[in-house]
Amino acid sequence: MQALDKALAQVGSVVLGKPEQLKLALACLLAGGHLLIEDLPGMGKTTLAHALARVFRLDYRRVQFTSDMLPADILGVSLFDPESGQFSLREGPVFSQLLLADEINRATPKTQGALLEAMEERQVTLDGLTRPLPSPFFVVATQNPVTQAGTFVLPESQLDRFLMRISLGYPAPEVELQLLAGGDLREAVRELRPVIEPAGLVKLVAHVGKVRASRDLLDYVQRLLEATRADDRFSAGLSPRAGLGLLRAARAWALIHNRDYVLPEDVQAVWPSVAEHRLQARQGGQVAALTQSLLQTVPVVRA
Amino acid sequence: MARIYQVPSHARGWLTLAIIATSLPQLVDGPWWQSPLLLLVLGWRALVDRQRLLLPGRVVRLALLLATVAATWQSFGRLHGPEAGTALITGLFALKYLELVGKRDAYVLIVLGYFVCATILLFHQGPLAALYVVGCLVLLTASLAGINYGDTHARGRQHLGVAAVMVLQALPLAAILFVLVPRVAPLWNMHLDSGQARTGMSDSMSPGQVSRLTESAELAFRVQFDGPAPAPSQRYWRGLTYSYFDGTTWRQARPPGWGERDTLYHGRGPAPDWYRGLRAAAGGPAWEYRVIMEPSQQRWLYALAVPFTDLDGLALARDLRLVADAPVTGTLGYRVRSVPAAGAGATLDGAERALMLSLPEQGNERARALAADWRRRYPNDRALVNAALGYFREQPFFYTLEPPPVTGDTVDRFLFDTRRGFCEHYASSFTFLMRAAGVPARVVAGYQGGEPNGDYLQVRQYDAHAWSEVWLAGRWVRVDPTGAVAPDRIELGLRQAMRNRSADQADGEGGAFGRLPVLFRLQQWADYVDFNWQKWVLGYRQEEQRDLLERLLGAVTPTRIALALLGAVLLVTGLLALLVLNRRRDQPARPLEREFRRLRQALGRRGLALPEAVSAAGLEAAVARRWPAATGAAGHWRRYFEHLAYRRDGDPPRSERLQLARRRRALMRALRG
Repeated sequence: MQALDKALAQVGSVVLGKPEQLKLALACLLAGGHLLIEDLPGMGKTTLAHALARVFRLDYRRVQFTSDMLPADILGVSLFDPESGQFSLREGPVFSQLLLADEINRATPKTQGALLEAMEERQVTLDGLTRPLPSPFFVVATQNPVTQAGTFVLPESQLDRFLMRISLGYPAPEVELQLLAGGDLREAVRELRPVIEPAGLVKLVAHVGKVRASRDLLDYVQRLLEATRADDRFSAGLSPRAGLGLLRAARAWALIHNRDYVLPEDVQAVWPSVAEHRLQARQGGQVAALTQSLLQTVPVVRA
Repeated sequence: MARIYQVPSHARGWLTLAIIATSLPQLVDGPWWQSPLLLLVLGWRALVDRQRLLLPGRVVRLALLLATVAATWQSFGRLHGPEAGTALITGLFALKYLELVGKRDAYVLIVLGYFVCATILLFHQGPLAALYVVGCLVLLTASLAGINYGDTHARGRQHLGVAAVMVLQALPLAAILFVLVPRVAPLWNMHLDSGQARTGMSDSMSPGQVSRLTESAELAFRVQFDGPAPAPSQRYWRGLTYSYFDGTTWRQARPPGWGERDTLYHGRGPAPDWYRGLRAAAGGPAWEYRVIMEPSQQRWLYALAVPFTDLDGLALARDLRLVADAPVTGTLGYRVRSVPAAGAGATLDGAERALMLSLPEQGNERARALAADWRRRYPNDRALVNAALGYFREQPFFYTLEPPPVTGDTVDRFLFDTRRGFCEHYASSFTFLMRAAGVPARVVAGYQGGEPNGDYLQVRQYDAHAWSEVWLAGRWVRVDPTGAVAPDRIELGLRQAMRNRSADQADGEGGAFGRLPVLFRLQQWADYVDFNWQKWVLGYRQEEQRDLLERLLGAVTPTRIALALLGAVLLVTGLLALLVLNRRRDQPARPLEREFRRLRQALGRRGLALPEAVSAAGLEAAVARRWPAATGAAGHWRRYFEHLAYRRDGDPPRSERLQLARRRRALMRALRG
């Protein structure tokens, strides 16, 4: 799809040297999932989120999470209007199409929970008043690695709400050179031209569900899920919800690659970003390496 | 308080069922109080489960225990022995269910149940009993599986499946142990006092006795010949000889002053003269066969002509019969070699000769007069015998199953008045006539005939027969006067002979001979199964085992048996382990998967080792790296594979599979080119 390629090129012009991560982020969006970016400060997380909002012309808000933040700071408050004699909801930043929740792990679990609940339900309830969130609605949350001081680790159940977790990492030397030589990134983002309207994005998301996943492919996905459960190096296997997410992400990946059917390679491409943050290694194993190793051992075509 | 591990409710059903099933044979065969006791226990348990009643306290339990012991004592007069012991253990088994609280009690109960299962086999050894016991084992094992299943949401049905699989897996091991574990002679002699009167021959013969047997179609014994069976007219199965006649009844007797040692040879100690004489004359052709006898509660065994055996647990009598050391209470198998031509070595002198000529002092005067008349006319014994047979043949004698009752001088009344009789009438009067004429004679009782079923003969109670033997030219010669009157009886057997009779007699045959052909076939088939069970399973005794092991292992040494046992058990458990380990892969490969595997293996043979988890694209890339010339063919194949596997659903039709196979072969050709 040309529009998608163009969107990718646009975002790629501000987030340099990370085409794979950009594609994953786009796939996450197309799959209708929320994205968690885990990285050290200053790696371009915000730039990526902002750029995505720009190319899809999404209503974009950014919330910097802090430890003294309350749920109301995100969701909004219900206020009594003395003139009309009724309560009305003053919408918080969550009422946007693309919410960048910066450093989500700096907030208390209570505040984190409020946001994650809104992400799951796609609506906000305050004092008995329920308001639907705008559509489309995406959350891009960023998180500092948990070893940093003053953070609250996201619990596993909440990690599950994010379809993908990616990290950008340091740029390659030549890319960094280019970055240093370039102008103001903030300005560049603001100059990005929208490629796809929000309504088009909603259509694309609906289209992802129609990408064909054949019986042989489903078999492969099932074998992967089964492998995480049978492998006792993980403390628990992937849930069926994770499996559905994996398939949806693979479909989006296929769509980005201009195919109307899913190949095993699509599954493999999204696998680490979908599976890693949902799995925990027993006795200090490296989750990333273990997750990756399953791709080497689970037969793609059953022998 | 110690923690009690409860028996899960999904296991309780199986446990109750297992208790009922294992106790059932005892409820039927055992003393009357077994059923009320089990009902009491089950009812109590049911009330406890509904929380309407408490489990019995110590005093009640003690009272129940004492009552059970007392009832056993009352029924059997003792607490040991197979019957009393089984009744007691089955009763205690039921009582134990009242004590069931936690898992520990359930274990005790189930292990006890396995033991009760074993006691069933003391009294029933047929194939159906074996199947029943296997069923009980499955139920017990299902309870065992159930109480070990922690999940409270487990379904009861799955325990039965687990148990069935476990018992199935155990069967090969059981077969190996059955064949290989050395058999020892029983440690104690099991005398089961079943005490039931069975139909069969008795040690005396009076008129009407044999004809009563003909109403029974019960099996007497079965015979399997090593070679072809002798003709029907040769199938005289001797069981008893009667040498003493009191005017009404023929009895077994020994010459006065003779003991059992003079007439029976058990194979121990020096052989008596008569046995050596028989042995010396035992040349010529012989029938070799195996008899499997049904329990008769008597010692008489049945065999043809002059029977020789290994004399293990049985003895040969001077009158050429086989006699078991103890009454036949279970099925008994024995091998016989019968020599028709033997018997020449026998002697008949002194007291024995006198016995074979003895008659009551008086009575049956008309028969005596007839015999005296024959003696005058035929000085030669053989001519006299022929004259007697001619008399039976020519005078209007009738062969009938329902002879009119005769009293007083039975021989006279039959010979001259009624002239309607059954084999025993003919044998009795013929022998009387012979003795009256001075020819030593005796009555022989046994069976005549046998119906083939499969490769063996069935001899039933209605084949019971009596005939005579006369001493001619230094040996006993069989003479069957019934054959002179009713040759059908000898040639065709009783069933056929009676069927040929008029319709008015046919009514009486129904029960004994079976009127429904289908039922009869079924019966024959069941008997065939039973026979082979008797032969191969129950008949597998020490000697059979020794023979088999010698054939399998060469010499039978403890080391070899132990090694064979170990090897066989390891083999079976190894195979089972493989089966279990392979179960994960047992989903059959689909056509595309097979095609993929074929290409992978072909590439493997060309030296390209692919990782286990290779995809079609990975395979294409690996081929292109190794054989750049084949890049096109590899892409060609990969695209079509992906098209079939991922772009469409369902297994591809044959034409497309063939197309894919062509592309695979093209790829392989490209490698070579």
